[in-house]
Amino acid sequence: MPPLLQVESCTKRFGGLVANRDVSLVIEPGEIVGLIGPNGAGKTTLFNCISGALHPDEGRIRLDGADISHARLERVCRLGIARTWQVVRSFGRMTALENVMCGALRRTNRVGPARARALELMAFTGLAGKEDTPAAGLTLADKKRLEITRALATAPRLLLLDEAMSGLTPIETAAAVELVRRIHRELGLAICVVEHVMEVVMPLSHRVIVLDHGEKLTEGPPAEVARDERVITAYLGDRYRARA
Amino acid sequence: MAWVAAALVALLYPIPFERSGYIYYETVGFLVLLNAMLGIGWNIIGGWAGQFDFGPNIFFAIGAYTAALLFIHLGWNAWLGLLGAVVVSVVICAVVTYPVTRLRGHYFAIATVAMWMIAQPIGATWELINGSRGLFIPVAAGGGFAHGMLTMEFAGRGKGLGFYYLALLLFALTLWGARAVERSKLGFYFRAVRDDQEGAEGIGIDSRLYKVIARCLMAAVFAAGGVLYGFWALAVFPDQVLEVNWNILPMMAVVVGGLGRLGGAVLGSIILIPISQLMTATLGAGPLAGRGIDIIIYGAVIMLIAGWRPNGLLSLPWQRWAGRLLGRAPAQPAKG
Repeated sequence: MPPLLQVESCTKRFGGLVANRDVSLVIEPGEIVGLIGPNGAGKTTLFNCISGALHPDEGRIRLDGADISHARLERVCRLGIARTWQVVRSFGRMTALENVMCGALRRTNRVGPARARALELMAFTGLAGKEDTPAAGLTLADKKRLEITRALATAPRLLLLDEAMSGLTPIETAAAVELVRRIHRELGLAICVVEHVMEVVMPLSHRVIVLDHGEKLTEGPPAEVARDERVITAYLGDRYRARA
Repeated sequence: MAWVAAALVALLYPIPFERSGYIYYETVGFLVLLNAMLGIGWNIIGGWAGQFDFGPNIFFAIGAYTAALLFIHLGWNAWLGLLGAVVVSVVICAVVTYPVTRLRGHYFAIATVAMWMIAQPIGATWELINGSRGLFIPVAAGGGFAHGMLTMEFAGRGKGLGFYYLALLLFALTLWGARAVERSKLGFYFRAVRDDQEGAEGIGIDSRLYKVIARCLMAAVFAAGGVLYGFWALAVFPDQVLEVNWNILPMMAVVVGGLGRLGGAVLGSIILIPISQLMTATLGAGPLAGRGIDIIIYGAVIMLIAGWRPNGLLSLPWQRWAGRLLGRAPAQPAKG
């Protein structure tokens, strides 16, 4: 059986800049994969290629074995990959509930059931009580939570979280990590997180993939990756070496 | 309650004028309703889907011409012609709109203006629709009110009243339809595309498809309005149905009343249309006649609204004021 997601030698160029070079990776159903790397390593570009916001110049991306390299965002979502964005993209003039309903309407054409599903999911992700707040009026932490909820409402099999925890206070970050764990535990989704904050990715992920200068440096269990000399030099820095 | 009151006022409005013979005010009412209906249509693409369309009147013209041609050459009843007009304009709209949905913001707006500019010479020269000589709609007089309502054929006495109620009927249908759209999946998807196109695509919304659907709904409303206008004017001239005011007034009514709100177009039309009619009527014979004073006043109104209340008059705290006026405690502000 083919893996849930398979990226085969994906290369993406922007003019002379190679954002992703020959990147291959696999995500199996039900695992949490961390995608890390320094700024400009090509993490978001890879996410954009997988989710259909961009298309790779070379290589293939397969979902359940089917080629989705050139499928557009909305089609990739329909096939079962939902994503959040590094810069939040909530529907500012709609209420929080309406935002989630837009996601839920992916799976139904009727507004009533979409509303019921949205309420259920908002309770699950801890947004209960904020249903009628316009999305633009939410805090950053709640906006990111709203985006996750909206993505979940499309009933994906793979959830891509692009820096869902950056810019949050330590307490908010802890709550967000707990949310990702709960999503994984109770909904059984495969989740891929792009993250800067090492303290978040390492304990959360089952497996970590390190990108550097657009290429895959290494991958493996967090504990192993954290000890890898190349990773430490490229990214983690001496502070982390001392602690490990 | 407010709905029932508004409906009653709308239904009874022409009665005193009909009895006293001031049928001019029935025509003002007709124009207010026609414009409000067009505004509700424009709000679908401009207010909900967030795409500013500056050339909606091409569908007004297509509607007017289609029904007129069907009436003149095939003898179709105006209501059948209206169905035909809606179908034709929706099909044309889908074909010409899909390519430009790649454009966003100002560029989309410019493309719609371009379509309107292209439509003008076509309207003025195409032989099928008689070029700049226009089409006349020959209507026999003396059919009576019921016959008129069933055929849109009114001539002479009773025309003001008849067209007021025809406009009210189409306006009510449009309002009802737009309300259903607002509460359906379409309404949610339109607003999602407006607020964040990538965000919308990321949850599986085909933004181009929904922009096309939004503009086609608008085209349907404008086509229906065009049919009504054609049978009211008893003629279709290219410079009349492609008049820039059919672009500007509905849009302005929406912006003045409240962009994205159903009531916005209605309130805006009630304010704007009488201004223009009053200007024409009072300055008609004076030294300022034909100098576009109404346009200047519109400009001033728009500037005031834009500077003072960009979200339109409906965004003012009417409920609180009403409560204060009636001596009740102010309504609780929204939580959050």
